[in-house]
Amino acid sequence: MGKEELREELLKTLSDGVVNFEEDKVKEAAQKVLDEGLNAYDAVMNGLAAGMEIVGDLYDKHEYFVPELLMSADALYAGLDILKPHIRMEDLDQKVRGQVVIGTVQGDVHDIGKNLIKMMFEVAGFTVHDLGRDVPLEKFAEEQMRTDSEIVALSAMMTTTMMGMKKVVQMIKEKNPDVKIMLGGAPLTSDVAQLFGADGYAESAGNAVQEAIKMIVQLRKIQEQ
Amino acid sequence: MAELTSRERVLKLFAREPVDTMPCFSGQGMVTVPAIEALGIRFPQIHLSAENMAGSAVKSMEMFDFDSVVVPYDMCTIPEAFGLKVSIYEDSEEILFPTIPKKWATPDEVEIPDDYLERGRMPVVSEAIKILKEKIGETHAIGTWILGPFTLAGQLVELDILMKMTIKEKAKVETLLDKLTDLIIDLGRHYREIGADYVSLREMGTGADLLSPRMFKMLIQPRLRRIFESWDPPKILHICGSTDLIIELMNDCGAEAISVDHKNTLPETRSKIGNDVLLLGDYDGFTLPGQATFEEIEEAIKQCIESGVDAVWPGCDIWPEIKAENLQALNQHIKDFGRSPTPAVGRV
Repeated sequence: MGKEELREELLKTLSDGVVNFEEDKVKEAAQKVLDEGLNAYDAVMNGLAAGMEIVGDLYDKHEYFVPELLMSADALYAGLDILKPHIRMEDLDQKVRGQVVIGTVQGDVHDIGKNLIKMMFEVAGFTVHDLGRDVPLEKFAEEQMRTDSEIVALSAMMTTTMMGMKKVVQMIKEKNPDVKIMLGGAPLTSDVAQLFGADGYAESAGNAVQEAIKMIVQLRKIQEQ
Repeated sequence: MAELTSRERVLKLFAREPVDTMPCFSGQGMVTVPAIEALGIRFPQIHLSAENMAGSAVKSMEMFDFDSVVVPYDMCTIPEAFGLKVSIYEDSEEILFPTIPKKWATPDEVEIPDDYLERGRMPVVSEAIKILKEKIGETHAIGTWILGPFTLAGQLVELDILMKMTIKEKAKVETLLDKLTDLIIDLGRHYREIGADYVSLREMGTGADLLSPRMFKMLIQPRLRRIFESWDPPKILHICGSTDLIIELMNDCGAEAISVDHKNTLPETRSKIGNDVLLLGDYDGFTLPGQATFEEIEEAIKQCIESGVDAVWPGCDIWPEIKAENLQALNQHIKDFGRSPTPAVGRV
């Protein structure tokens, strides 16, 4: 089997493994990528992340739901853990090497959506500063300032915690209007996201995966300019 | 015929008997900051004593002319009674509802104490209902709610673990859901015995943005049916989020009323479930009472009614930081526009 043929086969195994929640197959294929001297970044982006994009589509089509998203995420991480230490800096140099501050706002301990978004940013090569859940509002602004991150991603699953987001957006935009702010959570609507002054929003976990991809693409364009 | 009392209006609606106008009420929290401030207390205090819980419910009802009161306000009372720690955010100036900072790692760890009604803040809730019964029980309806078995399980066990176990280790999830179903049946009966007029089962962790309709049918619906078969009417099934795909399954669980939020397509729902079941919903409890203009409020209430609800009520908790003039206008519109018959309920 030629090198390109092998590459294609392994990428497909990684992608299928993510779609079908096959952690062991993903681990095996990820190790083979390394053993065969193939590019780890290529395997992450065109294997694992490509699989997660299919999963996002399946979620949109109501074929997959949150349990399936989470199982796919486990399979993706199984591969990412093996491949990530072998990603070459020169691969990332051509892409965005941005930073993201992420967390679930104070009063909310639901972090499924937040963790899925975190995963997509990690896959795309971002440095993720995960503040966890039930995070005091001022902590987001402090961490953004400390790390000079380009993106702050906030999550709240309940109406009763969503208001905290508005305050965080205000705090950050006052200090640095260029920071992109992404909101996620079931109670959000486009009207509310707009009202809060956010740059992007996602109302569901699957939607969040798609939205993160869009935001990453948008940031790359800005950086290329 | 003399105007109905608030309680009569609510109970007749649930019995699908003619009413004078739509009641203004809810099956979720509707405590307001103006009421809390009028009592001279702070938000965290309304969760901690029966007097403050009942007092803030009555004050909110009086200030905004609601036909009912609803307690409790937070989703942690049962997990706390089982032994989990609760964050009340007592020192915070923000409106923060109590949360469970650390849940159990697996369903096997969950144990239901026999004396759960005596633990944590469960006696506070029971006492609040008794106070409400005594204070306003003749004239106004007393509502309460309990989380559905899956949503409650998600308050006890880390939700991501629970979700994955629905595929990988379904039997363990089913065992926990069965235990919680028994508890919910028992607790619903208790609340009714001590004075609640209606109970809403809030199973919001099972909408089609989280679980598949197939999973709902296999895992959730049988337990909901068992609960509603065991409870006396009136009983409500509330699910927020994406409900279009499961609305017929929801309607086949045995509740007298189905409650949804603004993500539901109401006209389609009405045509799917027919006119023999109460449909309650679905205004945005954050935007309308807290942010919207008077024109937007009027339009939204008309829209709800035109879409086929039998009572206009919020799709989730009303966000407590309301604008008083908004909530007053909103409830007045419900009473004014609600004088015509609705699909399931006639008018006197």
